[in-house]
Amino acid sequence: MVVMTHSVRTRSVRSLLTGMAMLLVAAALFSGCVGDKDVADTRIISVSGSTTNLPIAQAVAELYMDIHQTDEILVSGGGSGVGIRAVGEGTADIGMSSRDIRQTEIEQYPDLVEHVIAYDGIGVIVNPENPVSSLTLDQIKAIYKGEITNWREIDGNDRQIVVVGRDSASGTREFFYEEVMNKEEFVRTQQELNSNGAIRRTIQQTPDAIGYVGLGYVDDTVRGINIWIDDRSVAPTVSNVADGTYPIARSLYMYTRGEASGLVKDYLDFLLSDDGQAIVAREGFVPIR
Amino acid sequence: MMKYALETRKLDLYYGETPALIEVDIKIPKNSVTALIGPSGCGKSTLLRCFNRMNDLIPDCRINGSILYYGQEINNRTTDVVELRKRIGMVFQQPNPFPKSIYENVVYGPRVHGIRDRKKLDAIAEESLKGAALWEEVQDRLHEAARSLSGGQQQRLCIARSLSVGPDIILMDEPCSALDPIATAKIENLIAQLKEEYTVVIVTHNMQQAARVSDYTGFMYMGKLIEFDITPFIFERPKQELTENYITGRFG
Amino acid sequence: MKETGSQPEMHRVLDVSKSSITRQKKETLIGIFWLGTALFATVAIILILGFLVREALPAILEIGIWDFIFHDIWNPASITPQYGILTLIAGTLLVTLGAMAIAIPFGIGTAIFIAEVAPPQFREVVKPAIELLAGIPSIVYGFFGLIVLTTWLRTSFDLPSGATWLAGSILLGIMALPTIVSVSEDAISSVPDEFRSASLALGATRWQTITGVTLPAALSGITAAIILGLGRAIGETMAVMMVTGNAAVVPDPLWNILSPVRTLTATLGIEMGEVSIGSTHYHALFGVALVLLIIALIINLSASFILRNIREGQIGANGEPLLSNATKTRLKQVMLVVAPGVIFWIAYQISGITGMAAPAILLGLIFAVKQFFSRQIQEKMAFAGVTLATAGVLFTLAIIIFDIVSNGLPAITWEFLTESPRNLGRDGGIFPAIVGTVWLVAGAIAIALPIGVGAALYLNEYTIEGRITRIIRAGNDLLNGTPSIVFGLFGFAFLVLFVGLGVSLIAGQITLALMILPTIVRTSEEALKSVPDTLRHGSLALGATRWHTISRIVLPAALPGILTGTILGIGRAAGETAPLLFTAVVFMKRDLPTSLSDPVMALPYHLYVLSTNVPDAEIQQYGTALVLLALVTAIYAVAILIRRHARKTIRW
Repeated sequence: MVVMTHSVRTRSVRSLLTGMAMLLVAAALFSGCVGDKDVADTRIISVSGSTTNLPIAQAVAELYMDIHQTDEILVSGGGSGVGIRAVGEGTADIGMSSRDIRQTEIEQYPDLVEHVIAYDGIGVIVNPENPVSSLTLDQIKAIYKGEITNWREIDGNDRQIVVVGRDSASGTREFFYEEVMNKEEFVRTQQELNSNGAIRRTIQQTPDAIGYVGLGYVDDTVRGINIWIDDRSVAPTVSNVADGTYPIARSLYMYTRGEASGLVKDYLDFLLSDDGQAIVAREGFVPIR
Repeated sequence: MMKYALETRKLDLYYGETPALIEVDIKIPKNSVTALIGPSGCGKSTLLRCFNRMNDLIPDCRINGSILYYGQEINNRTTDVVELRKRIGMVFQQPNPFPKSIYENVVYGPRVHGIRDRKKLDAIAEESLKGAALWEEVQDRLHEAARSLSGGQQQRLCIARSLSVGPDIILMDEPCSALDPIATAKIENLIAQLKEEYTVVIVTHNMQQAARVSDYTGFMYMGKLIEFDITPFIFERPKQELTENYITGRFG
Repeated sequence: MKETGSQPEMHRVLDVSKSSITRQKKETLIGIFWLGTALFATVAIILILGFLVREALPAILEIGIWDFIFHDIWNPASITPQYGILTLIAGTLLVTLGAMAIAIPFGIGTAIFIAEVAPPQFREVVKPAIELLAGIPSIVYGFFGLIVLTTWLRTSFDLPSGATWLAGSILLGIMALPTIVSVSEDAISSVPDEFRSASLALGATRWQTITGVTLPAALSGITAAIILGLGRAIGETMAVMMVTGNAAVVPDPLWNILSPVRTLTATLGIEMGEVSIGSTHYHALFGVALVLLIIALIINLSASFILRNIREGQIGANGEPLLSNATKTRLKQVMLVVAPGVIFWIAYQISGITGMAAPAILLGLIFAVKQFFSRQIQEKMAFAGVTLATAGVLFTLAIIIFDIVSNGLPAITWEFLTESPRNLGRDGGIFPAIVGTVWLVAGAIAIALPIGVGAALYLNEYTIEGRITRIIRAGNDLLNGTPSIVFGLFGFAFLVLFVGLGVSLIAGQITLALMILPTIVRTSEEALKSVPDTLRHGSLALGATRWHTISRIVLPAALPGILTGTILGIGRAAGETAPLLFTAVVFMKRDLPTSLSDPVMALPYHLYVLSTNVPDAEIQQYGTALVLLALVTAIYAVAILIRRHARKTIRW
């Protein structure tokens, strides 16, 4: 067995450590080199809040930043409540919300200015294998109340209905609660998930499930339920929301502290312009015009 | 000048409420080997640990009385314990080399006391290992693990280690009890050589060993020093009946 | 080296000299410094508690503490809001119980296998592999659970939905496993060989030695492992949020493991983001966080208490043990009846009468073996058992890795790795997120490691057990049980707002450091304890100071164990989303951070937003998960290499 002498071993340890240190330094330097900007001219704002609005805000920000290379718009989520607080406290420049601002929030941050940036519909979805394709609002409410528990009661398979909804702090749920449930209570065994994406995924995977998501999340992987209005069955589409025939629709907001100015104003103007609204449509939401 | 390397006067030691040493007066002559014998629990190891203040590490331990190192009181707050332990080395019952190489073990002490120069350390290592009669066996493998040595070699390494900081006194707490007879014999020879330069105090429960190796012997029983004299007298002409009973094997 | 016949004057210089005073002052200062680090966790937890109480108080006062805790309807969004958290408490307890029922036997079984049964080369490979499980981000576990686990449960047992208590327990059990395995294995392998030799020399089989001598000797470390794993399970948010269905009900009947449940952490995770600040709901959520913390404390204290009693029962303690021998025997008899009964009930729940067949056969086998077979055969079966346990754990790891790799590989292109994201992350790459994660983890370790090791040093080397150490340990345990989402809330309100750091890299690093601190303290302490006292005595007897002894002898010997804690900490820091949510991250940022006060992108958060809010980004999600996994593996590899090198240098 060859035994390294003390000095050789120490040297190999030292070289290993030196190598690692050099690697770290190199990584730091390299990362500093990538994406350098001329700091002096950059304008930066931060946008935070509802995850429903986030795709719009982000997509618009990207397009804006492509055009105006020296501006930077940082978008993050957290929820409507977080967004309103952030802009109220001044830790963000714009707060996004998918629900109306509450009285307590108005009192706490009285100088917030509201801007409507898009409309959103809420689609009720089921698994594509589910034969049921249309429901009345009353039936939907009964399912979510737990009064209808088996699909066969509404001409479906003989299977227990798995009721899926949003969490109790969600603006989307609040909206559903007021508009569809008429403020009657949800069934207690309703599963609660915290995002559109999670709900859609659950519906995709669970043959007997029913859920509700923002319009942008209704696609081929799930079946959007048509709503019976009088004798017509109205599909959850952007055009039906735009012309008012689809009954479950709401506004999406951005809030600023006082009137918008500087980069905030430029960004919001861009969002409300044709280019911005085209992005709104592309993401599956309803433009304001 | 000072005849006695170590001395205690009216030494009491308590673990909590339990007395472990009772009014011990002992005088250890310098450049000699002194053995402490007695049955288990008589306090000989405790007394040994008083000399280099290792009892400080035991919580709830109270020591009253004087402990003198070359006439200087060391059982007080003003004594620099770190320096004391440089002067008084200790070898433990179970060999406890550090999990390092042989070389690193031996130069640990000098390093800790500030010696950095490689050549000096090498010299100290060689001298200490020679002083412990180990140099011949390990000089070609100084950088191997200390743990790869046999028990007897490890103990001699621990002796070398304690020599490396330049003490005048070496305390040994049953150094051979974990070793085989051959290793024991080697260490006993070593002890005989060490006394030329050092003062050795050795605790042992092996009376034959005490008789072979030491110049002076102290017999302890239940925390008291019963008798202390030159070794031949203790073993051939003990003055106390207790001592005689122990020597002749009636108890212990 | 030595002057013979020296003058007595030379010997007089033992009184404290100027240099020795400086030395003593330096030693005292060092000791005080470590005391400071030891108190850090306690101070942090007091701050967190204070902050929680402050924010929760309005709700508690308004709702009334009794109603808050014992009312069984949680419905804050209705026109008559109800804030009773009983169902949430039940959910947390039940899911954690189930998780521990899985993680403890599998975890300790695997630890025994690695430490005692497997050949040493196996250990070198398997231990890091299991530590890798700790690096899988909770969000990835959540997705694995959502996509694979719940579907498997649903189809295998013909359930309407797989989102159940059982799914939550299985997932949490898997997540707590690496901690339990790693720390237990360290404890078991540091039991001195002399113990084993003594037992075998008496004619005991290896299995008898393991259960009779080795495991009890390692009990302290195993206790630490279980408590750390428990902390992980109680505080987990993201994963459990995605697989338990989050229905705020108590399962009916209570043992119905196929019922959906909702935990306290999931409630925080899903509702905190959207709640209106300052409302009763907002304050009620802080009440939830407070209750969660208190439950964690109670469980921790009880676990420590029970395990201490077990230990004292074995090695003997002062005074009367808590349970007399008669009581213990009776308890054992009761358990022998109750445990199989519970297992049968569960099996019945899942698949009716036929389902009971499997556990019946298994139990019958175990009984027969114990009664009728020799010790050697029992040993063979026991070894087979722990081998199976390990195989099960490794198999799970394989499935999860396979899922991520096979789905993520298509996304990995040079562009993906080096460019900034575009089009909400559907195009472009994730480079800024990679850099952000690296910085966050590096900063968290840079903060937590010195403080954690310092605290462990203080506890083990500078002080004896007493009131101060109990306070420090209590603080540490509490911090350990704090859910990641609570760290995030605290980080936001305290670091971001109150201290004024803003949403920044440094706020994220500090928050993450707080989160991994208890793990590092605990494992460092175990590592220090495993260094035998005789080494310290040998060093002190040479005239080394305490700090010399610690820095040159004790710490190097304890390094492998400390590195284990670091590895676990890295894994956690890299994969956590909740602590970053409000403290450090933005979804998209084109430039890399240029200073500590910049916000950053991070891989787990990127994955989270992609998977929850960006449609049509499946491949990118998996790609991000794969990159995160690869990054953590790389960090692990470096840490493991360092640990292996440290072990070799120590030369036991």
